[in-house]
Amino acid sequence: MILNILLIIDFVMLAVVLIGYIFTSMRERKFLRQEANQSLELQQKVYQAQVLKEINDRIGYSLDTAKIIDIITSSLGSLLDYDTVSYMLLHDDGSVLFKCHVERTVNHEFIRQVKDKMLQSFAAILDSDVRPQKLDESITGNILNDSLNVSVASFFNLPVVISGRLVGMINVASAAKGRYGEEQASILYTITNQAATAVSKLQTVLENEKGKLSAVIYSLTDGVIMVDTANRLMVYNPAVKTMLGVSGERALSMFDIVDGLAGKVDIRTKMEQAAAEDKPILINEVYLKDKALELTVSPVKISTGERLGVSVLFHDVTTEKTLEKTRQEFTAMMVHELRAPLTAVRWSSESLLKNMAAAAAGVDTAKVKDTAVTIETASNNMLELVNDLLDVAKIEAGKFELNMQMYDLVEVVKDQVKAFTPQAEAKHLALNVAAPDKFMVKFDRVRISQVMGNLISNAIKYTDSGEITVNVAADADKKAETVGVKDSGIGVSHEDLGQLFSKFKQLQSGDRSRKGTGLGLVVSKGIIEAHNGKIWAESAGENLGTTFYFSLPIA
Amino acid sequence: MTTIVVAEDDKLISNSLCEALKTAGYNPVPAYDGEEAVAKCKEAVPNLVLLDIMMPKLDGISVLWELKANPSTANLPVIVLTNIGDVETISKIVEAGAVDYLLKSDQSVDDIIQKVKDVLARNVRLA
Repeated sequence: MILNILLIIDFVMLAVVLIGYIFTSMRERKFLRQEANQSLELQQKVYQAQVLKEINDRIGYSLDTAKIIDIITSSLGSLLDYDTVSYMLLHDDGSVLFKCHVERTVNHEFIRQVKDKMLQSFAAILDSDVRPQKLDESITGNILNDSLNVSVASFFNLPVVISGRLVGMINVASAAKGRYGEEQASILYTITNQAATAVSKLQTVLENEKGKLSAVIYSLTDGVIMVDTANRLMVYNPAVKTMLGVSGERALSMFDIVDGLAGKVDIRTKMEQAAAEDKPILINEVYLKDKALELTVSPVKISTGERLGVSVLFHDVTTEKTLEKTRQEFTAMMVHELRAPLTAVRWSSESLLKNMAAAAAGVDTAKVKDTAVTIETASNNMLELVNDLLDVAKIEAGKFELNMQMYDLVEVVKDQVKAFTPQAEAKHLALNVAAPDKFMVKFDRVRISQVMGNLISNAIKYTDSGEITVNVAADADKKAETVGVKDSGIGVSHEDLGQLFSKFKQLQSGDRSRKGTGLGLVVSKGIIEAHNGKIWAESAGENLGTTFYFSLPIA
Repeated sequence: MTTIVVAEDDKLISNSLCEALKTAGYNPVPAYDGEEAVAKCKEAVPNLVLLDIMMPKLDGISVLWELKANPSTANLPVIVLTNIGDVETISKIVEAGAVDYLLKSDQSVDDIIQKVKDVLARNVRLA
């Protein structure tokens, strides 16, 4: 009995161990199977990823849909089993591109069936029949054999959508039944989807870049146009419209451009020339309305060398031209101003030499003295002019140095008035001073004397009758000391007041009889500003006299 | 004595020119602006005029026309002395009837005296 019980226990234990063993081994086997499955899945994923990477690398930054799909379909052989792989692309102009790669020999009917299935799929998606106006067909790979009795037994279509737009369809077909399940479709879907996403992103980036570029072109002050190879206007900006005088919302046409430039430039010929010679052409001095323009006609090409058309840049050079003219006038004036005293020196010294040669007859000392005085005065005038020029150069270079000390401003003013009294008297002008006894300010004595001299001599030069009054007074707020030189002369028009102190301005006025370079005022302005002071002029108008002021800061 | 009106607003140039003319034996009469030049030509009855272009009150071209308009000065030979050498001014000078023009800075006093002599001699022959 006990033995029986023991036997039963033994048996039960054995059974438990056995069951335990079986259970464990079953679990292990299940685990192993799972692992094997997982590793297969992993392998497949790695492989897919590799193919995808390869596709991505080959696509690069291309936006050429045909090329992208071509790359995708030609990479499928390693992932899927099929007889034919095909794609269709819908073009904007209504034509359809059909490309089919024959992996295993099929017949024409097979291809026709593939085409039909793809067109049907298009129709289903677009909800309308697709009847291609033109079908570009290209079949590659194995030869077709119509003696074969095959037809499409299994297939699937995959639409290609880029940036939300249906652009094409990929088809995989086989003569064997039940070849394609969800798994195969999902592989192709993954690949196509990722490629499409990449392209969409690239397109967004390009759209953004294009937007930036358009904004740049739109905001340029230079006019820009671009025409394509058929001479159609592709790009233009508001600046070019303004330059051509085309106003409002009206779109610019090629006619406006050719017409606007007619008689000045034959722009069509220049564009053709630029395209033919494959280099930019510069057209100088085209005058449109009141503007001087410089035109650059350039061929437009993309990096591959393909010609897109021709661009024309309208650069406004009016300011440069005006400046150039003023500079020329200034130079001419300077030459004239330097020549006058030089001529006097030359002629006087010639006379002097003649007198000396005839010395046997006795030198006329009075005559020699007169001549020598002429030479001296002419030389001084010239020296003054050259000094003014040097001062202007120093001021413009910012290398103007001052020797600042405490001086009596009234004394300096009175000294200059005294020095110019003979000149004023010679023109029968009264030269008066209204000033306190003394006013101590910090300034450069030589330079402020120079400014006073310039202002008083100008007042004398531009006044034919009446008087000149020099006034010295502290400002109401006691922060500056102001000197005014008031004359009863020809005055200055309101527009010219602001330009009195700028270089190149003097002889712009009609009255060329009053010679002078106007450099004195430019130098005076430089000196006063170096003192942190102010210089300005006031006039009630022409023939109403002028008052020149300068103020020096106190302390 | 041969009288020559020297119309020149630049006192220094006028002085040196007058000196030279005196030394050469002429009688220079200076005029310092355009109006004065016209007046002196009527008054002094000169044999010749040396005329500057850029002058106050009346410029040299206007002086030429004024002289032409007045019978007593219409045949007066005028040599223009100027520093303005542009074609436009020169054609105006010629049109207004000057017998010759000289660019001041290009000339020595001797050149000017020689030109004065030539013009006077030619004028005498013409007369």
